[in-house]
Amino acid sequence: MNRTRNAGTLGWRVRLQQGLGMLVLLSLGFFGPTSRGAAPTVDDAGSGSLLLRNAVNGEVSWALRQSTRIRATVTGNVARVIVVQEFTNSADEWVEGMYVFPLSTTAAVDELQMQIGERRIRGEIQRKAEARATYERARVEGRQASLVEQQRPNLFTTAVANIAPKSSVTIEIAYLDTIAPRDGRYTLALPLAITPRYHPGEPAQTEATPEPTLELVDAKPQRIDIDVQLAPGFAMATLESLHHPIKRHQRDGQQHVVLSAKHVPADRDFELVWTPVVAPELHAAVFSERSGDDTFAIVTLTPPQRVSTRSLPREVLFIIDTSGSMSGTSIDQARVALWLGIERLTPADRFNIIRFSNDASSLFRTMQPVNIATRMRAGAYIAGLDADGGTEMRSALELAFTMPVNSETLRQIVFITDGSVGNESELVGMIHQRIQSARLFTVGIGSAPNAYFMREAAAAGRGSHLFIADAAQVTERMTDLFRKLEQPTLVDLELRWPDGLRAELAADLPRDLYAGDPLVVAVKLPREPRGLLTLSGRGPDGPWMRQLAIQKTHGEPGLAKLWARERIGALARRKNFGGPDSNQLEQQITALALAHHLVSDYTSLVAVDVTPVRPLGSGAMPLQVPGSAPAGTAWARSTGFAPTATPGPLLLWIGALLLAAAMLWVMPALRRVRA
Amino acid sequence: MSPRRIGVVLLVAAGLGCLAAAGWIEVKAVAAQALIDAAWLRAERGAPNPRPWPWADTRPVGRLFVGVHGPLVILEGSNGRNLAFGPTHDPASVQPGERGNAIISAHRDTHFQLLQRVVLGEQVRIELPGGARVDYRVTDARVVDSRRMRISLDAAVPMLTLVTCYPFNAVDPGGPLRYVVSAEQI
Repeated sequence: MNRTRNAGTLGWRVRLQQGLGMLVLLSLGFFGPTSRGAAPTVDDAGSGSLLLRNAVNGEVSWALRQSTRIRATVTGNVARVIVVQEFTNSADEWVEGMYVFPLSTTAAVDELQMQIGERRIRGEIQRKAEARATYERARVEGRQASLVEQQRPNLFTTAVANIAPKSSVTIEIAYLDTIAPRDGRYTLALPLAITPRYHPGEPAQTEATPEPTLELVDAKPQRIDIDVQLAPGFAMATLESLHHPIKRHQRDGQQHVVLSAKHVPADRDFELVWTPVVAPELHAAVFSERSGDDTFAIVTLTPPQRVSTRSLPREVLFIIDTSGSMSGTSIDQARVALWLGIERLTPADRFNIIRFSNDASSLFRTMQPVNIATRMRAGAYIAGLDADGGTEMRSALELAFTMPVNSETLRQIVFITDGSVGNESELVGMIHQRIQSARLFTVGIGSAPNAYFMREAAAAGRGSHLFIADAAQVTERMTDLFRKLEQPTLVDLELRWPDGLRAELAADLPRDLYAGDPLVVAVKLPREPRGLLTLSGRGPDGPWMRQLAIQKTHGEPGLAKLWARERIGALARRKNFGGPDSNQLEQQITALALAHHLVSDYTSLVAVDVTPVRPLGSGAMPLQVPGSAPAGTAWARSTGFAPTATPGPLLLWIGALLLAAAMLWVMPALRRVRA
Repeated sequence: MSPRRIGVVLLVAAGLGCLAAAGWIEVKAVAAQALIDAAWLRAERGAPNPRPWPWADTRPVGRLFVGVHGPLVILEGSNGRNLAFGPTHDPASVQPGERGNAIISAHRDTHFQLLQRVVLGEQVRIELPGGARVDYRVTDARVVDSRRMRISLDAAVPMLTLVTCYPFNAVDPGGPLRYVVSAEQI
């Protein structure tokens, strides 16, 4: 009886929720719905989606591009990729197209060409606001124009203004990228797939609610041709495309690869993988190129998956933040991460755990060997961790640095925190002074970790930093980190250029190299180097040194641009962490991007036709999109919801029920006493 | 002792434990607000770096008045610990009074219980550190499904969004629905 009533109540609740859910889906306006049926935004779009905006009423609708051709030329470690896209407007009105495409964070986008009939218009690099203004002016005046902007480090957009009714515009975008071998394999990845962006907290399946004002403008199957010219610089053992059938031709000693299918559904990325016949134990190469007065070089170094069966013995010291700011999902994620780390330790390792909030304490007094007993104690310790109190990071670091060090082993400190501290510079200074031979790896957990502190602390501790904002990624990202930490193959890495040349590195050189983890570093040299580059470090079998001949590149220049792109990336990362030099960094990035013709956070490529094509009197004046997003774009930034209910009422009910049950139980006894 | 008596004692103990835990949530919510508000007033009088309690590691964003209710001191950072103490400001969103959407969340059964009585057109005020005031008028209130929706961070004018769980008298703390009140600066 009771059970049926419960089921009834539940059913009612579910129905109410569904009803409300529908209401919510139908109500548009202030909230950006993320279901597929609603107005598309940049977050819904994947690579190769063209959003057409009606020039009159500003409505955004989907349109599919008619054809795409990708031409890639791979020379050694550098890929030059040209994406040619023909966009067709099948509507009866003048429209503006918006195209969203993800690329790797290392891609340097440097060329834009717009083709109208016989004429080709080359895009020029301008400051972002300036380029946007140039584009808007052309749009209002009825001229054809296009604009390439960087939205995030790995997401770009192209806007095309005034596409005539029933006509098309061809856009060519070119970029450079580096290809570093990973685990002995070289991969050229071209993103093609239209994948919905993942929003945390959103179920994978969303109900599609048709939006009456939207229609699919053109739903012809996408036609993609891919042409790859491959000059790897060595004899290849294997060459395969992971997802698409390919045809191979040999031509002048080069591998010439052509994707054979003509109407490939662009539902997955194109990945071409090749391996060398002679796989070196350790791949290392350096290429240089002259550009103006300067010389640019790219050094690649990939330690093999396993250098030797012996790996450097290590001691892992975990520090976990259990302060009140970690409460909620953060501490749960941290517990999972910590347990993963303990599980992956081997009997050769030693470990310890330090927790801190108002005070700091450790699981063991000293570093302990890994065995069943210590593992079990660690498990119980982790389960008992609770987030409460303040953030006294100093005492935790004090405890970590005073723990006796064994000089034969590599000490790795894994610091899991959200970093909500106020005395960052003092802490970073302390790490810098007392780290000695240890390495500090910071893991930022939660939605808003103190990124500045994490990065600076890791840099001072000669380790790396990692941010995990999304609870779903904890296991994967932490497993990657721990796998890496298990196999240090080279530590204390150094580069020495011939005749004492002082090289300007695009980004900081990592101190340690881990198995299978490639190092790609671009450098700027004051003059052409004559001689050998010396790489040195310490491996599992003692000191390690290698000398490399510096090879000159042939063909298309690009190293200068790759250097600039890497430099911009490093500066942008520094800027993201805040700090007083923010304005100066912005200026440096802008200057570099303008000098090297690159799209960046502060520069865009813009191409404008000279003659107006859209008759001004035809009543089709473009309108500003109303609302909030950055000028002229249809996408919006958004945030999720906090969990805003306490278990209070639930606890009240359980308490009341338990007391009622106790009452019922004692009632007969009381009655007997009374009788 | 008979097994029954032991059972009854255990049941009563567990029951009282649950009631105490529920009561503790309420006490924390009220007491923390009192302490934080006192710290706020000390700050107004010029005390340097006032902390509501010695180990606090968050900062107050402002004081919130909804109609005749308030003040509620808003804390920076929407984590579970802060939510136990007061309404919290989402650090990804703009500060109150700035152009864009300032997002403030609180528990439906403590600080934001009052949202169920908010009506359209009602005035909401936020007092910022330093004494500046931002006045808003409620323009919209609706129930949304947090699994399908996200809150926009951008807005053409300064806006305020107050978020709490829905339904207000539900027992399950993990429900997906949210009650969202939007207000525009006057």
